[in-house]
Amino acid sequence: MTHTTERRGTAALAGIASAALLLSACGGGGEDDNALHILVVKHALTGPMADMAWVDELEDAAGIPIEWEEVSADWDQKKSTMLAAGDIPDLIIGTNAITDADMVTFTGLFEDLGDDMDSLPNVQAMFDALPETELMATRPDGEVFSVPSYRRFWPQTATRQYVNQQWLDNLGLEQPTTWDELHEVLLAFKNEDANGNGDPDDEIPVDWSPAGEGGFGYFQPTVFLGSLGLPTTNGGGSGYFVENGEVGNFLTDPRYMELVSFLHELYADGLVSQDVMTQDYSAYQSVGRGDGDVAKVGFSWGWTASDRFGPQLADQYAPIAPLAADASMSADDLAWTYDSYSLNYGLNTITMSAQSEKKDAALKVIDAFYDQDLSLQALWGDFGENIEELGNNAYTVLPPADETLDSSSWKWTTTLADNSPGWIRDDIEVTLPTDIQEAVEDEAPLTDALANIDPASDIWPGELVKMSAEDSSSLALLHTDILGQAMQRWATWITEGGVESEWDDYVSQLEGLGLTEAVEIHQRYYDEYLASQG
Amino acid sequence: MTSATTVRPAGGGAARAPRRAGSRPARHLRRYWQLWVMLAPAIAFVAVFAYVPMYGLQLAFREFDFAAGITGGDWVGLKYFQQFFDSPQFWTLLRNTVVISMSTLVAGFIAPITLALMVNQVLGRRRKKFLQTATYLPHFISIVVIVGMLHVFLSPSSGLITRLVGLFGVDGANFLGSASAFVPVYVISDVWQHAGWNSIIYLAALASVDTQLYEAAKIDGAGRFSIIRHIDVPALVPTMIVLLILNMGNVLNTGFEKIFLMQNPLNLGVSEVIATYVYKIGILSNQFSYATAIGLFNTLINFAFLMVANQIAKRVSNTSLW
Repeated sequence: MTHTTERRGTAALAGIASAALLLSACGGGGEDDNALHILVVKHALTGPMADMAWVDELEDAAGIPIEWEEVSADWDQKKSTMLAAGDIPDLIIGTNAITDADMVTFTGLFEDLGDDMDSLPNVQAMFDALPETELMATRPDGEVFSVPSYRRFWPQTATRQYVNQQWLDNLGLEQPTTWDELHEVLLAFKNEDANGNGDPDDEIPVDWSPAGEGGFGYFQPTVFLGSLGLPTTNGGGSGYFVENGEVGNFLTDPRYMELVSFLHELYADGLVSQDVMTQDYSAYQSVGRGDGDVAKVGFSWGWTASDRFGPQLADQYAPIAPLAADASMSADDLAWTYDSYSLNYGLNTITMSAQSEKKDAALKVIDAFYDQDLSLQALWGDFGENIEELGNNAYTVLPPADETLDSSSWKWTTTLADNSPGWIRDDIEVTLPTDIQEAVEDEAPLTDALANIDPASDIWPGELVKMSAEDSSSLALLHTDILGQAMQRWATWITEGGVESEWDDYVSQLEGLGLTEAVEIHQRYYDEYLASQG
Repeated sequence: MTSATTVRPAGGGAARAPRRAGSRPARHLRRYWQLWVMLAPAIAFVAVFAYVPMYGLQLAFREFDFAAGITGGDWVGLKYFQQFFDSPQFWTLLRNTVVISMSTLVAGFIAPITLALMVNQVLGRRRKKFLQTATYLPHFISIVVIVGMLHVFLSPSSGLITRLVGLFGVDGANFLGSASAFVPVYVISDVWQHAGWNSIIYLAALASVDTQLYEAAKIDGAGRFSIIRHIDVPALVPTMIVLLILNMGNVLNTGFEKIFLMQNPLNLGVSEVIATYVYKIGILSNQFSYATAIGLFNTLINFAFLMVANQIAKRVSNTSLW
């Protein structure tokens, strides 16, 4: 999965770095002026562009040489100074490398591709086949500054729920189906020597991914809102949800209070990791991988069992269905977090400079990325080495040539993978690599709950809604204040309790910080979105 | 701070230029041009890196408009200052910033003096050198590493210190995640890291004390504490005051990196300071004008503190920066 929490360490240096860069950004030079300049934001594992054979096809399409600028770390810091200086390469590639907020702030810096669609037949075809991609690309005033990608085969949610089956078997317990049963199971995990290593105190019954001050994300207990019938997106984000055509924010919803109250019960019984509020993502991951063959964590969330608990322990864990808040809940009411828009689509993957002097070549490169074969190769690697062509639009993604790597790391090592623009056609056949297969298989227990969510009417479609400069800037301010306050209460309430007695004050406090206004802005855009859907 | 003290004699020398008839600047230059040539790189440096960027401050009074450039946005006057003062976060931010920086200022002021006085009492050159080196080494550890060490020492489940206090019956201490522990942890680790380094300047001042004074005091029957109180401390006072004034100029400049790295949702109520808020608003949310306004406000407060501290020091002890 993406390593969202690296930002903390690196971001800390942003302040100084950006100040220093501002001054040095004026330099540069020594570049080939006849080449097309492309900046690409890569995963830390990804090797040099020159090693990817499919890149030659891009050069053939462009008709001129391509000069790559490859960024593997600290893009956010580099970006703000690069954009502020107004000096950008012909193309910028990478999922959300240029964000909607950048397009709003740095007006005039990016080329409007909306009037170049005649030169982008592949992109136009994708827009026609998948209208949601056109929505993702189109600004409120109709410009298209950036084109999204479509990956098709990714699961509908990033967060799968795991319980340690071996611990259950050791203690003679059943998989939990409700919050109360979970509570019982976790108590047993804590009090007994569930992992059988002779030490009854080294088990961590439940652990989740650290939630920062900026809102919720994947692998966090906000999925339990689904136990109360409240579907979320992307693990919760800033809290927006849609119910009966009304936008709301769960931060002030009574169901959220119920969830926090339940989590505090768990914490008060010593069932939640003591470090849950203070650890960073890498610590959370390494605790999950246990100690050799001895697992440490009983119940948690992750992308796949092998990603979360490591290949050595993955077999101990079983994916389980969403829990009901209490036994009276019908299975038809259960929900989960719906993440398909961020997993199967990559927002703003390729962006063009408005000052580019090689417009034709740049357009050809953009279009080439959306070619059927090139899309596959940019996502999974070169034909021959990484993908086998079977003919008749059928393909097999090959296992890693380097046997020490798992298929996910292999993909990130050999190609741009999820950072690449591209369009995986819906009418082709692909035999998937094992990491995606595992994610899809482990999603099976969640299928019913996910089927209860209708993406058209039950979620806040953040990826499809584009806001004006004014609204996005006032929301940015409101969210900094609201979430700062809300996340602090979330952490305090879970560790120390008090949610019931402080709830009313908290709700009026968030409203005072502008939550009502923020929800109204979202409602306005949601109404427009519904109207545009007809 | 060292540059300020070394520049002073040059400025003083220039001021004592002899008064004669004729064009004073020309005469002055003819007489002192070598000094000015030597000063030129420093002047250029300050001009380029401190004065030239100041034109960007007008962003605080303008709407940031990328297409129009830094100076081209619409003039909005004090809108962004007003927005900050009206923000529900304003008093929290100001309080957190002042509490953290004042505690650091006070503890960080007293600790190096105490340390210097103690090191000065240690007999034997080698032991003294060793002690000095051992105490100033932590200064060179990077902040990211320091915060990593804090996590190792203070983790509620496996921390070294958490376990240690557990032996004395304090269970479940969460020094990383408790709002009341944030400031002490921050200040104590800061003092530990920098006291040794900051004491060097005091040790230098102590080294310049005339040894005859010590001998005379001993003959008069003064004990160790009387010597410290009546000879060492008075010798340090001018240095103390200059350093205190300089520190006052940073009163609202908290250490951004360390606070940001130590932040978590549990301590955010006391750990959100102006610097981290500016980062979140300005860099992460692209609100450049607002962030500039907050930064400018921060600087003005610092400047006011510096002026006031300098005036007081001048009146009370006749020591001042200018």
